[in-house]
Amino acid sequence: MTMVRPAPGNAPVPVTAAPAPVRRSVPGRIRVISGITAASLVLLFAALAVGTISAREGLRVIGRDAGPQVVATAGLYLALSDMDAQVANVLVMGTAYPDQRRDALARYERQRAEANRTLLQAFELSGDNPAERNTVQSVLDGLGRYEQLAGRALLLNEQAAHPPGPPPDNVVRTYREATDLMRVVLLPQAYNLTLESGTIVRATYDSQGVLAPLARAAVVLAGLVALACLVWLQVFLARRFRRVFGPALLVATVTTAAALLFGTSALGRDEAHLRTAKVAGFDSVLTLAKARAISNSMQGDQSRYLLDKERADTYQHTFLDRSLSVMYTEAGSLPEYHTAVAGHTTGYLGLLGPELVGRQGEVVAREYRRFQAADKAFRDLVTSGSTNEAVAERLGPVKTAFDAYDRALTELAGTHQKVFERSIRGGEGALDNLWRLLPFAIGAIGVLMVAGVWPRLREYR
Amino acid sequence: MKRVLAALLVLASTAVAGCGLNRPESIVDKDELVIGVRSDLPSVGFRKPDGTYEGFDVDVARYLAARLGKSVSFLGVLAADREKVLMDGRADMVVATFTIDQERKRRVLFAGPYHISYQDILIRPDEKIANVRDLEGRRICEVQGSNAAQRVVAERGVKAQLVPFPDYNRCLTALKDKQVDAVTTNDVILAGLAARDGSGLRLANALFNEQRTGVGLAKGDVPGCEAVNRAITAMYQDGTAQKLLRKWFGASWLKRGIVAVPQFEGCS
Repeated sequence: MTMVRPAPGNAPVPVTAAPAPVRRSVPGRIRVISGITAASLVLLFAALAVGTISAREGLRVIGRDAGPQVVATAGLYLALSDMDAQVANVLVMGTAYPDQRRDALARYERQRAEANRTLLQAFELSGDNPAERNTVQSVLDGLGRYEQLAGRALLLNEQAAHPPGPPPDNVVRTYREATDLMRVVLLPQAYNLTLESGTIVRATYDSQGVLAPLARAAVVLAGLVALACLVWLQVFLARRFRRVFGPALLVATVTTAAALLFGTSALGRDEAHLRTAKVAGFDSVLTLAKARAISNSMQGDQSRYLLDKERADTYQHTFLDRSLSVMYTEAGSLPEYHTAVAGHTTGYLGLLGPELVGRQGEVVAREYRRFQAADKAFRDLVTSGSTNEAVAERLGPVKTAFDAYDRALTELAGTHQKVFERSIRGGEGALDNLWRLLPFAIGAIGVLMVAGVWPRLREYR
Repeated sequence: MKRVLAALLVLASTAVAGCGLNRPESIVDKDELVIGVRSDLPSVGFRKPDGTYEGFDVDVARYLAARLGKSVSFLGVLAADREKVLMDGRADMVVATFTIDQERKRRVLFAGPYHISYQDILIRPDEKIANVRDLEGRRICEVQGSNAAQRVVAERGVKAQLVPFPDYNRCLTALKDKQVDAVTTNDVILAGLAARDGSGLRLANALFNEQRTGVGLAKGDVPGCEAVNRAITAMYQDGTAQKLLRKWFGASWLKRGIVAVPQFEGCS
């Protein structure tokens, strides 16, 4: 574009007019055009900087704040829920199963430590969000009370020395207090913390969805204006000074064009990475964390169903309710659900529905069906009055089936977690490159502008 | 130059305006909310003769609207209207003993639950029924349009005898006249009926079939659902939930169980 040679006749050469004001006006106009060009360049780089900073903030919130918060709070829920399930397991074992009892108590201790660790982490990550901090604080307080109650139930249980099956009433009453505290107060708060992280990600992602295209449009607009100004400056200089090229300004123009192209593409890549991180990574990680949490409570409901006769109906209904939310099929009662799920192999609804695709998804679906089949066998034993066998079933095949299902869920979540982390790193990489190159581009264009304009101005000295 | 600039500016502003149109309508963007509440349940959602509404759900709805910074007007609804008023846009929000279930979630978005209720059993003062199993061989009132009594037989497998009645008022009369032995449904509904009846009918505190009572919203209003969830969290953290339960169901209600923020359904 700088090749355009203006027709000599067109050049308004000041011959007859008073020379002095015209000579003053030429450097004046150079200064004005240069000023406009510089201003538009500042605008371009400001738009690039603002776009980069806002995109980086989006990546930070989603990738470094809310993302890890989901993992921490889901870990908290699982640890808490498993603590209560282990206590229930020990209570139904009675004086039998010494090995399993030791294992269950050891696991209780491990999960307690894990709960404390994840609580601290959740507290750190909650930043200055007062509602979240209150929630973490409340879980912390409740956990202390829960440990006391659970400890008392375990002690009373030991003193009662009962055979496998439901423990004596005083044990059940104490455990009821503990499990109510856990299920009604602590677990919901942990679960809601996980959801809150989802809310933060959704809000950040949506606002990025509006801001990022705006920033990119601003960059393109400012870039085109800057390029037009540079061309204008060169055309003006070429006409005034009868030179076809100003090499410095030519290079400045090319550098500006490159910065514009590179900048918009980096911002575009960042948007794409963010979209992948959210849609293919985070959303699934969050859903699977919720499914894992609910499923873990289901296996606790099985032990509680076994140990608390009076509330058995409530616990069975809760189990059904949770089953329906994890994988939905129309069923009014648990036996109906068992039958429906056993024959159900495609088109899943409920929380897991959209996640059960691909090979890993199929594995999860299969293991879930096995877990429900084991549940049916277990409940049949309870209803037929075979308490000993029911306890053995709960601690044996049901546990094995649940563990296999939980493992499949974890692996599926791991795959999405990797996609999430890779996309966040990819987005950050694109921005890092842009951020590193920006100062060089600004410096180079500045120097070239001066090199291109200064000699012309000096001719008027 | 200037013309090009102007043209570009116009283009950019059109693009910006276009982006704004993509968002679905949310209660967050409104100044006034129309909230659907029950008009037929004393102490829960009840239309007084002067046309105003009162009850636990009504107070919850007022609190939530205030938390969201919106003014509120109420629309009385019956059980069968709750999905309809949300889908045809007559109400922005429904707080009307609306139990969250997977079937309804296909058509309605649920914030909350703001309250966990249970199915319970209303009995005469001298009656010994304490558990759903104690209904074996007894007569339960079956109200038309409610599946609560049916659930005792079908889901819990309790062999009780179902006696049909058209509404709760006649059920209560039948209970007092010993034509039936129990009325069963959502505990808050029973508590409201018992309080208005005033003849000493009482709840068995059987607490079976947990029911998650949520706030119904138009499907797709995720920001609205998240905002309501935050408001519900605040309602429990600042003690309002406990206060409202005591106000409408009495101090003894709080002994039924711990009052704590429920596990939310999630908005996505």
